[in-house]
Amino acid sequence: MQTAEAWVATPLRQFLDDARVRVAVLMNASGQVLGQAGFARSTDVMSACALAAAINATAGELGRQLEGKPFEGVHVAGRDQQAHLGVAPTPRGPLLLLSVFDEHTSLGLVQVFFEEFRARIAKAALAIDASAPQLAADFESDLNRNLAALFGRT
Amino acid sequence: MSAFQPALSAVMRLRGVTACLVVDEHDGVIVDSTLQFGMRGNVLAALLASLFRKARQSVAAAGFGDSAFLTLEAERGRVCAVGQGGLVLIAVADPRTNLGLLRVELNKARAGLG
Repeated sequence: MQTAEAWVATPLRQFLDDARVRVAVLMNASGQVLGQAGFARSTDVMSACALAAAINATAGELGRQLEGKPFEGVHVAGRDQQAHLGVAPTPRGPLLLLSVFDEHTSLGLVQVFFEEFRARIAKAALAIDASAPQLAADFESDLNRNLAALFGRT
Repeated sequence: MSAFQPALSAVMRLRGVTACLVVDEHDGVIVDSTLQFGMRGNVLAALLASLFRKARQSVAAAGFGDSAFLTLEAERGRVCAVGQGGLVLIAVADPRTNLGLLRVELNKARAGLG
C-alpha cells in the first residue's frame, strides 16, 4: 500500500485488511490520488482515478435527476472480479474509494467495511489542518506530485 | 410479500429467535429478512454468508458433500444457517431457543429457498 498523504494510511490499511479487496485506490472527487494498493504502474492509477471520478460524477447526476439526490455507491459485477465505488464524506470534501475484489470476499463484506472506513476517514480528516487547501491551485502539478509520491518518481 | 416470507415467519415464530434472514451466499447481501429493531442486518448478512460459504467449502473439501447446517454457539446466543441454491437462511436466537425445533424449521424452510 502507498499513500500520498499520511493521514489516509491507517483507515485505508484497516479497510484493506478487513475487506480483503485485491485493488483499492483512494482519491478526491476530482480524481487526485491519495492512496492506493495493488497497482504497479502510475498510469494505471491515473486511468482508474479519472474513470472513477467520471463515474461518480455521472452517477451523482443520474441520482439527482431520478431521485433528487446523488447515488452514492456503484457496484459492477464481472464474471471473476467485481468493482465497488463508494463516496466517503469528510470535512475536507468527499473522497472516493474504488475497490476491486474477487471471490475471496463479497459485496456485502466490502459494503460493511466501507461503512467503517467512512467513519474512520472522516475522523482522521478532522485531525488534520482544516485550513489547508482541498484542491491545490495547480491541479496538474499536485496530481503529479501525488503519483510521484506513490511510485517514487520525480 | 416476497416468496420467502412464509419461511421467515415460521422460523421467527419460535421462542427466542430474534432475526431471520435470507441472504445471497455469494454477495452477502440480504434478499429478505425479519429483524428485531436495532439489529444491523447488513452486517449480519455479510459476515454470516461469508462464514457459511467457507464452512460449506470446507465440508465439500473434506468430501462430506455439499449441504451443511452451520451452528455457531456464543455466550449469549447462537446463530444457525442452512443453504440451498446459492441462498443462505440464517436464524439468530437467544439461549432459551429449542435448538432441535429451530433445526427442524430451518431444514423445512431450506426446501423453499431455491
